[in-house]
Amino acid sequence: MIRFDNLSKRYTGGFEALRSVSFEMDSGEMAFLTGHSGAGKSTLLKLLMLIERPTSGNLLINGKNINRLSASKIPFYRRQVGVVFQNHQLLFDRSVFENVALPLQVSGYSPSDIGRRVRAALDSVGLLDREKHNPIELSGGEQQRVGIARAVVHKPKILLADEPTGNLDPQLSAEIMDLFKRFQDVGVTVLVASHDINLINKMNMRIMRLNQGELEWDGVGHGND
Amino acid sequence: MAMTNHKSRGSQHSQQTQRGARGSAVSRLDRWRGYKHHHRTTLQSSFAKMLQEPFQTLLTVVVIAIALTLPTALYISVENIRQLSGGVESSAQISVFVKKGARSAAIEKLGEQLANLSGVASVTHISAATALEEFNALSGFGSALQYLDENPLPETFLVQPLLLNDSAKLVAKIHKITLVDDVQLDMEWLRRLGALLDVGRKLVLALAAALGIGVILVIGNTIRLAIQSRRDEIVIVKLVGGTDAYVRRPFLYTGLLFGFFGAFVAALMLVGLGFWLEESVSELASLYQSQFRLTGLGFSGFLTLLVIGGVVGLAGAWVSVRQHMYDIKPR
Repeated sequence: MIRFDNLSKRYTGGFEALRSVSFEMDSGEMAFLTGHSGAGKSTLLKLLMLIERPTSGNLLINGKNINRLSASKIPFYRRQVGVVFQNHQLLFDRSVFENVALPLQVSGYSPSDIGRRVRAALDSVGLLDREKHNPIELSGGEQQRVGIARAVVHKPKILLADEPTGNLDPQLSAEIMDLFKRFQDVGVTVLVASHDINLINKMNMRIMRLNQGELEWDGVGHGND
Repeated sequence: MAMTNHKSRGSQHSQQTQRGARGSAVSRLDRWRGYKHHHRTTLQSSFAKMLQEPFQTLLTVVVIAIALTLPTALYISVENIRQLSGGVESSAQISVFVKKGARSAAIEKLGEQLANLSGVASVTHISAATALEEFNALSGFGSALQYLDENPLPETFLVQPLLLNDSAKLVAKIHKITLVDDVQLDMEWLRRLGALLDVGRKLVLALAAALGIGVILVIGNTIRLAIQSRRDEIVIVKLVGGTDAYVRRPFLYTGLLFGFFGAFVAALMLVGLGFWLEESVSELASLYQSQFRLTGLGFSGFLTLLVIGGVVGLAGAWVSVRQHMYDIKPR
């Protein structure tokens, strides 16, 4: 599903964010990406979202090299990917429902279809009764769940999350991780960047640890050394 | 609480999710419906956003309206003057003077000959005697004429050409007829008026171009502010797979609406101007014993103005979107 083949990323300032990183993720696999801040987690996710382009190496999604994807094709690639942000990136000028509906509107779903799918997504994160609220009225954990609903509403094949539990207490964080696990159960490939070592060790799943742009650990458990 | 509550339905839900995942392809009809719906809601929300800042919107619309009113008013003036001069053109006549001593039968034949020439609308015969009578009555030199042995005035035909442009050719043709002494066509001043109107029309074009660029800049600036205030939204839409066309659409609609409303207000201003001028113009016309009436924008002119406003608005939005929207990229 996802294959990094000796991928490097050097920013224009000369900073080397990733150094020949290689790994593979199968369809329906879930993994955590960890490391100190500045280790390259965000850059790796940005490469997957095509916000940044690699300096060298190949990035293959579903066997297709997306390095050569033209700018006009990028939106259609992003429609296959769901993204959850640390600061959830919700829009406060519209309701929870409209926030979650955004990826569907962008892809041209019909209004009735949008209603059905948005309610299903909100139901899956347990926020069906909040669809008419403004996200600003919700708690931090609820806002993050709205962000997750928006990331999965269009049934992406790949779900990426950048520090999704960054601002949440341990109880809420565990709930959020359970949620990701459930999406993996239905066949979504899930990659979660997090520095919450205790939490991800408890999950007993594949962990990839980045250190100064290099992948220094890839395996189950042992997030800390 | 909601989470634990939800977990009891977990398995049921995951089945639903899986089915949805397989059926996630959007049919063409659904896509078209979604597209239509999207356009409608985009137009509505663009309009709603304009109403959220009523003062700013009104200001922009009025500026656009004034910029559209000026060249349109000048255009209408030029058209009106042209119509007026058209009335004068049709009264332009060719005077044909017959050689002295022609017999009355020959004169009658000449009249028929003139009437049969191509490009001639009508021919009026003024006999020497009639001309003398008129001269007597109008000039006040009647007593002086008594001292003349014979009538000095020639037999005359007034030839009305069908088209002003053909009159020069007609004059040349009439000149060749043996019985004709002289032909006169006084239309120098008409030519001057025509040239003046040409200058007027060019002025209209120049003014329209200058103010059109002004409108594009005004709308461009308004759209620039709109883009900046919706920066977050643009970033997120791009992140969830919105195409550039999708992102720029609301701004293009906003530009279109500004252009439309500006043109509409301009039309209202022109109607008001028409009413204001109507009385003075008809008084002026009556002093010249003319039936002339002001011709306004008209319905087709109104529609044309709306289209022009819309196109200029769209162009302004396009310029602004090209300049400012593509800088906004997710980071």
